[in-house]
Amino acid sequence: MPTKNIHIIVGARPNYMKAAPLYDELKLQPHFHASIIHTGQHYDQEMNKVFFDDLGLPKPQVYLGVGSGTHAFQTGTIMQEYEKILLDQRPDLVVVVGDVNSTIACALDAAKLHLPVAHVEAGLRSFDRTMPEEINRLLTDQISDFLFTTCEDADQNLKNEGIPESKIFLVGNVMIDSLLKFIERAKQSDALARLGLLKADAAVQPYALLTLHRPSNVDDPHTLVGILDALNTVSERIPLIFPIHPRTLKQVKAFALEDMIWHVDRPESIPLDLSPPKVITIPPLGYLDFLNLMAHAALVLTDSGGIQEETTILGIPCLTLRSNTERPITITEGTNYLVGSDPEKIVSQSFEILETGGKQGRLPKLWDGQAASRIVRILTEVL
Amino acid sequence: MPESKTKTTPKKIHLIVGARPNYMKAAPLYEELKKSPHFEITLVHTGQHYDEEMSGIFFQEFHLPKPQVYLGVGSGTHAEQTAKAMMRYEEVLIASRPDLVVVFGDVNSTLACALSAVKLHIPVSHVEAGLRSFDRTMPEEINRLLTDHISDYLFTTSTYDNSNLSREGISREKIHLVGNIMLDTLSRYLDKAKKSAILARLGLRVGGCIHPYALMTLHRVSNVDDRKVFSRILSGLDQAKQQLPILFPAHPRTVQRIKEFGLAEYFHVFDAAAEPLTLDEPEKIIIFPPQGYLDFTCLMAHAALVLTDSGGIQPETTFLGVPCLTLRENTEWTVTLEQGTNRLVGVDPDRIRGETQEILKSDRPSPQVPEFWDGRTAVRIGEIITRDKADA
Repeated sequence: MPTKNIHIIVGARPNYMKAAPLYDELKLQPHFHASIIHTGQHYDQEMNKVFFDDLGLPKPQVYLGVGSGTHAFQTGTIMQEYEKILLDQRPDLVVVVGDVNSTIACALDAAKLHLPVAHVEAGLRSFDRTMPEEINRLLTDQISDFLFTTCEDADQNLKNEGIPESKIFLVGNVMIDSLLKFIERAKQSDALARLGLLKADAAVQPYALLTLHRPSNVDDPHTLVGILDALNTVSERIPLIFPIHPRTLKQVKAFALEDMIWHVDRPESIPLDLSPPKVITIPPLGYLDFLNLMAHAALVLTDSGGIQEETTILGIPCLTLRSNTERPITITEGTNYLVGSDPEKIVSQSFEILETGGKQGRLPKLWDGQAASRIVRILTEVL
Repeated sequence: MPESKTKTTPKKIHLIVGARPNYMKAAPLYEELKKSPHFEITLVHTGQHYDEEMSGIFFQEFHLPKPQVYLGVGSGTHAEQTAKAMMRYEEVLIASRPDLVVVFGDVNSTLACALSAVKLHIPVSHVEAGLRSFDRTMPEEINRLLTDHISDYLFTTSTYDNSNLSREGISREKIHLVGNIMLDTLSRYLDKAKKSAILARLGLRVGGCIHPYALMTLHRVSNVDDRKVFSRILSGLDQAKQQLPILFPAHPRTVQRIKEFGLAEYFHVFDAAAEPLTLDEPEKIIIFPPQGYLDFTCLMAHAALVLTDSGGIQPETTFLGVPCLTLRENTEWTVTLEQGTNRLVGVDPDRIRGETQEILKSDRPSPQVPEFWDGRTAVRIGEIITRDKADA
């Protein structure tokens, strides 16, 4: 059997934990040769390295270095740069994951050159076309040859869009592969101690964990003030730890809202003062550290996609600060609640969860750590 | 800024053109929307088709004004063209924030500008939506598919297009069957085109009589860049070319290919400026430079038979009632096969030969034109846009 060359595309942090298990599985097969292509859409080199090291990913074989910019700039630049690589290397398969600009850009390049495309995490729909990710997902799915889905509702979404069933493969959630593989190691990370979240008796100090980065939440000052206001109210009951996305910090500063957060640039050197009320922002964390914080949190508040799934697996209550989600299974089966950006709802739902512990979730089908091996088994058959 | 708009402020509409096949689609809509005081129309040319001179002629023929915005994208690979059009048009969008972006057809500019607009939450209209060849190796198919999935208004040419879009889960309220806008242009210019002197120049009009001829166009890479395929097409015409002259307006690039492939013996290269055409070389296919819209339409309207691998000529011949053989394995214009004069023959010599003979032997088909292919498509689109946008 001749070796098949496979490109795995990563562009931004949420892609890394989806690519890693797949890369590991492909490496085990002598008939596949996998390369990691990094578009450089996320360009914080230091943080990229922490994530790659945490996940055991190799240095990318190709780095396109597109950097930040508007959607058209990023998508266009990636398209031009990756097309050159494709013309030169002509891989047997291009694997794209998730829904970032790199996902659609590289899939479109490949489709135009008649190279097969596999989309991992296909079929997710928020039905909100104002989300750039929704556009990326929708278009990537239309031009992919193999659509690997995480759940049955994703399959249904794809069928509704006329995608033939023969292209759709329900394999489970590769991100959960990473989570299950690394959770024990993550729990040994010293992040809790480093951030002063352990009490004298080594018990964990109760805290809530927060992430917030979506343009719809952080680009409008009125919305952002409302959310921060609600978070400050929540922090009267429980300290909030907020690893802050650079774009969110930029907006907080731009709108002069620094007094609504307590920013600690080097939490390792200053023990965090957890006395309420406080929304404590710290620099972004690596994969293992963040996973550890998530696993021990009393409550997670987020507007991210992946965290809704990770909290469901960890059994941690999650409040999603969005008016819709492309991952409804985390609500119907998991521990997730959709609260939007309405301050009152954020506060009341948080308080309720802190009192009751939130709903008991169950694990969605096939979210068992075997998704990548299912994908590789299918690729072995079809390529 | 929406707040600064009063009721009388016209809504800004961008019409996007990138390559020649777009012009005859944009022209009728430009004229229609221009009439309305509710709209301020901007013609945006991406410059995807870089043949300035040729573009100039086409623009004049359709009475299109000089584009207010020219993006100068130029030629390049698919990714280069698409990326440059996306990036340059995004800058225009951010600066001028139109209320609606109208894209046409299926070129790279179509997808690029639609994608830039949708990411900025600006509504997109796709004119000629829902066409599907189901051949993903055609770059146009990818462009059509993706543009349709991000458009807010899908203006379709036939019920086949509507079915395609419905099958892809696109909601019914976005889909508007309005007919074929290209035929607005054709019906408007047909009489003028028929008066063109091209037939006389070619020596095909003698007095009131027109000498029967066939017309061929080939431009697809899969047909003209592959010697074997090209030869197969030519051998399929061996019988026909003894029966009537076959006219072949061809791009200089194709002429070059013919020489490289050693196929020159099949052709008579005709230079109208230097010589009058004599029809005493019946064995040869008559090759001459591409013609403008009116001259080409005249040639098409009077042909006994058209052979083509183009998209647009299939509906045009159906509209004209001229038999058409499409030298492709599939078509996005299913309606022209089911209701029109078109037949799909691929590049198999026996099929080309057989179908050609059948057409030449039989009477001209009585034209059956699909619903709404009546020259009033732009009016219908204008009504829908006015209804939704004028007072919005």
